[in-house]
Amino acid sequence: MIGSTGEIARQIASGTRSAAAVLAECKALIEAKNPGLNCFTAKTFERAEREAAAIDGLYSEGKALPPLAGVPYAVKNLFDVEGMVTLAGAKINAGNAPAAADATVVARMSRAGAILVGALNMEELAYGFLTENHHYGTTRNPHDRTRGAGGSSGGSAAAVGAGMLPITLGSDTSGSIRVPASLCGVFGLKPTYGRLPRSGTYPFVNSFDHVGPFANSVLGLALAYDAMQGPDPADPACAQRAVEPASASLSLPRGIRIGILGGWFHEWADPAARRSVQLAAAALGATEWTELKSAEVARAAAYIITAAEGGALHRPRLIAQYEDFGPSSRSRLVAGGLVPASWVIQAQRVRRHAYREAMELFERFDLLIAAAAPAVAPRVGQETLLINGRSIPTKAGLGVLTQPISCIGLPVCVVPVWPGEGESPAERALPVGVQLIGAPWREAACLAAARTLEQAGIAEVRPPAM
Amino acid sequence: MSETRDNPLQAYVRAALALQGYTFDDAEIAEIVMQFSRLEAISRTVFDWPLPNASEPAPVFRP
Repeated sequence: MIGSTGEIARQIASGTRSAAAVLAECKALIEAKNPGLNCFTAKTFERAEREAAAIDGLYSEGKALPPLAGVPYAVKNLFDVEGMVTLAGAKINAGNAPAAADATVVARMSRAGAILVGALNMEELAYGFLTENHHYGTTRNPHDRTRGAGGSSGGSAAAVGAGMLPITLGSDTSGSIRVPASLCGVFGLKPTYGRLPRSGTYPFVNSFDHVGPFANSVLGLALAYDAMQGPDPADPACAQRAVEPASASLSLPRGIRIGILGGWFHEWADPAARRSVQLAAAALGATEWTELKSAEVARAAAYIITAAEGGALHRPRLIAQYEDFGPSSRSRLVAGGLVPASWVIQAQRVRRHAYREAMELFERFDLLIAAAAPAVAPRVGQETLLINGRSIPTKAGLGVLTQPISCIGLPVCVVPVWPGEGESPAERALPVGVQLIGAPWREAACLAAARTLEQAGIAEVRPPAM
Repeated sequence: MSETRDNPLQAYVRAALALQGYTFDDAEIAEIVMQFSRLEAISRTVFDWPLPNASEPAPVFRP
């Protein structure tokens, strides 16, 4: 397993190890572990060696090192990387011209000293909660290779869960950071909608698209988040807020009020997911249950808006190249493009209503907690999930607890919790993540709660048993 | 899905596909009808939710 961001940064800053040595270890881990998991779609080792040499040069000249100096990372393959074709998991993009420049957040990670080692597998066009990609293969779960990594940022979560990398980047439209983080047992952050610029990333649903980090420690998550913050006029949805650093203070304020989301979030959590919530709530001293009554309709609104925007975005190429889209994506995208405007407008009104209801909850609570997925990782190819006696299609159902939250843009930190619940020893060895949900722009509170759980030993990234 | 519900939905999908410039065979249309029927079912949740007229949509647009 590769070390944490804090460990690596300390080693490089103290001269105990060079950035080149860390990169060599990282490359060896990738070569050893990736073939069994299929996390990477491209490696950028030449660029990584240049970036590592630059960090080692700064050290040898006695210059100050940036906060992520020498920390290796990789990105979901919908982020532009200069000189590489941005696939977004799709064959239809394979013939596109290489990106002329890095995505804004990739450029910011480079400026913070991080070392880019590659691009990671994802669900085709980010449409789905699995990473069973028709063109680029299935990304498997590092804790059980018969199971999936979740999606759509499956390669990003599995690469951290497998111990190949301390940090990766992903995107989250309806749960695509939070679901794979939950299934692979890693930390993940979906910031407030508009906090991090999406410029230079391949879009899916402009109304909901977020970018954010995965990490094997809360400090690493916070350092990556801090490095990527800041205004960017190139993204019209970016809130253009000044940087509000979170990594310098990860202490939970005294008297913080934490509510446990019941209702929809309890009904769609199986015993393992409920146990994860129970463990996190107990460690945070949370005892009061509450409810977001519009959760179900917010999820429905997210579903409609996602279908409509995704279908409209891809319509020209669906007409021209239908056969080049994966079988599980193309008919859904076409159907979404037929959604009447009245449905979308009503869904956007619902979205506003659900947001207001959530703001009323945040008058009583500083944080809300809920499971990040309804169950442990499903088996690869599993068609349905059975949650408390109700069956739901796996591809859509894995996001049943995340969609209501991203619909209204709230910041969420997912922490890996190991409930030890399940019908078999294999299931009892798997994680279910917990969402720590904040009011808009309160990522720092989410991260501080995550740090509290990490320090208490409730949330941790465990090395794969195999 | 009953025939009385299925037919208008199928008719809508066929007409909307033609309007948008798609050409599909019957098997492909059947798959798209199935996907659209899921969207139609979930849209009822959205429309059944009571909203005041003052509830504005929430798109992002900053001139």
